[in-house]
Amino acid sequence: MPHAKEAELFNNDEAKVNWHDQALWFVRNKRDKAAHTVKGWEELRNLASAIKANVLSNLDDYLIQFEENAQKNGIHIHWAADAEAHNKIIHDILLKNNVKMVVKSKSMLTEECHLNPYLEAHGIEVIDTDLGERIVQLAKEPPSHIVLPAIHKTKEEVDVLFQKHLGTIPSNGDPQYLTNEARKHLRDKFLKADAAITGVNFAIAETGGFVVCTNEGNADMGVHLAKVHIASMGIEKIIPQEKHLGVFLRLLARSATGQPITTYSSHFNKPTEGKEMHIIIVDNGRTEQLGREHFRSSLNCIRCGACMNTCPIYRRSGGHSYKATIPGPIGSILSPGMDLKKHGSLPFASTLCGSCSDVCPVKINIHEQLYQWRQIITKDVKQPIVKKTVLKIAGRVLANSKLYGFFGKSARFMLKHLPKSVINSQTNTWGKARDLPKVENENFEDWYKKRKS
Amino acid sequence: MSRASILNAIKKNKPESVPLPEIDLSLFQEDIDLVDIFSKNLESVGGRIVSSNTIEDLDGEIKKRYPNAKHIVSCSNTSQLATISISNETQPHSLESIDLAIIDAQLGVAENGAVWISENNFIVRALPFIANDLVLILSKNAICLHMHDAYNLISKRDRTFGLFLSGPSKTADIEQCLVIGAQGAMSVTVFIV
Ligand code: SF4
Repeated sequence: MPHAKEAELFNNDEAKVNWHDQALWFVRNKRDKAAHTVKGWEELRNLASAIKANVLSNLDDYLIQFEENAQKNGIHIHWAADAEAHNKIIHDILLKNNVKMVVKSKSMLTEECHLNPYLEAHGIEVIDTDLGERIVQLAKEPPSHIVLPAIHKTKEEVDVLFQKHLGTIPSNGDPQYLTNEARKHLRDKFLKADAAITGVNFAIAETGGFVVCTNEGNADMGVHLAKVHIASMGIEKIIPQEKHLGVFLRLLARSATGQPITTYSSHFNKPTEGKEMHIIIVDNGRTEQLGREHFRSSLNCIRCGACMNTCPIYRRSGGHSYKATIPGPIGSILSPGMDLKKHGSLPFASTLCGSCSDVCPVKINIHEQLYQWRQIITKDVKQPIVKKTVLKIAGRVLANSKLYGFFGKSARFMLKHLPKSVINSQTNTWGKARDLPKVENENFEDWYKKRKS
Repeated sequence: MSRASILNAIKKNKPESVPLPEIDLSLFQEDIDLVDIFSKNLESVGGRIVSSNTIEDLDGEIKKRYPNAKHIVSCSNTSQLATISISNETQPHSLESIDLAIIDAQLGVAENGAVWISENNFIVRALPFIANDLVLILSKNAICLHMHDAYNLISKRDRTFGLFLSGPSKTADIEQCLVIGAQGAMSVTVFIV
């Protein structure tokens, strides 16, 4: 199903859509406030972007350096070309250690690899320990946001879910009570788990260490209690030196939620005596994306989620409508690279307003890359008739400045004079569930001309 | 072999070499009251702060704030409140019912209210996460401006395990309502001495 159709499903519940929209906009505002308090914020973004560009251009060397240093510190390094190899490596480690239950903190990579169903099919119980992820796991759903996995769920829904799975009493969705019950439930799992799986936010070539960021403390509760710690990282998580963490940690949480830093930024360099630490370095399509000149900088993403929070389409269509591990603007660049047929509608799920690129802490030109994908897709994949005609007309119009002026005028004319039934018709998905803006009579050009004369 | 194939694919597909930029610290220099900004930021992330030049009876002050704490681990020489002693032989699971952990912080970061603590400061890695409440003792002379300074200050450390910790454990995963006390410590109090 294309994105527009999925979005329609989400829009069935208007009150919920409005809440979702507002909640994410609120997070976006917190991001702005946090960014404005930092002296040199734009310089930080420039630095982050330049460091990441250097990383991509030396990625193989940095990975080798990272491996060498990590091994010196007693960390086991594994390489996985694809999702299957990744899952198999993890399964083998768990088998060797006779693990029956594993706790997992947030890792979009393990989502991408569909690790949970793989392990479950092999008889290993996997408990997601980030509260939002536990909620969606109990609901048998994928996360709908990379930082706020359960943002699509109401507190009442969580209440019912917890009654069923954790035996809580009805509370009308009291967040304090529900969080506390989840704390007890998860603590029991932490104490019983034999192994812990985490993601990696940053891996440092210079030291062979890695950093994991959480607010809940769930990653640390897992790894420091279990005998085995397995950390999965995409090849692009490398940064050259430890001091570069100064740049990225200043940007990450502020961009994500408006916090000055995550509650816990844990730096792992060596396993505890008598315990095992493994890192799995995963490709799964990333080297291919590295080869695509126009899209390679999408690998610079530090997964803050800011582009989702700011995106007018994401906010009103929900993360699930993208049918991809990483939703929203950045996901719409990454996913077509993985499977163009399946994800071909995603680059069109954008107004190209550019807000995503404006907030991105590593300055990925997200909206331009979405535009680039459209160019490729309209050539390669059969398009629904509306989009194709619209694009054709738009192409002709933009090429001809007189026509452009005329179309601008007539669009305003049509908005004003056509009946709503025509505007909000089948051919115009965006007219659904919303009234079009009130039209001012003059466009800027007319107004300016009049003023001058 | 995955390793060789991944490295080869990178070699083939990577862009031309781009230089690594220098971090120009003058861009981020600010003349601010470090203790004051640190305290404000810590409070904004849900932490508590006790700062005064007159802390004579530190243990008394801690007791006042955590009157019900029975099982107490102290890894700080400045506090004698410990009721349980730990060593690097201690099993982390045995710390499950610790009410309060008292730990020396090595440095504080004004821009975000975080402190750096490392394994040397708390001996058993699980301790700062599994303890119900956390007291951190920080020297007012050990507060730096921002993360760049902080990484400079910890650059010579023995690298095993350490973390920046900013306030108590928290979540907003249920309808974006902030709840303090998710999986880690329910409260964090920093004593600035
Ligand atoms: S693309 Fe940029 S804004 Fe979006 S999640 Fe990645 S780093 Fe954040």
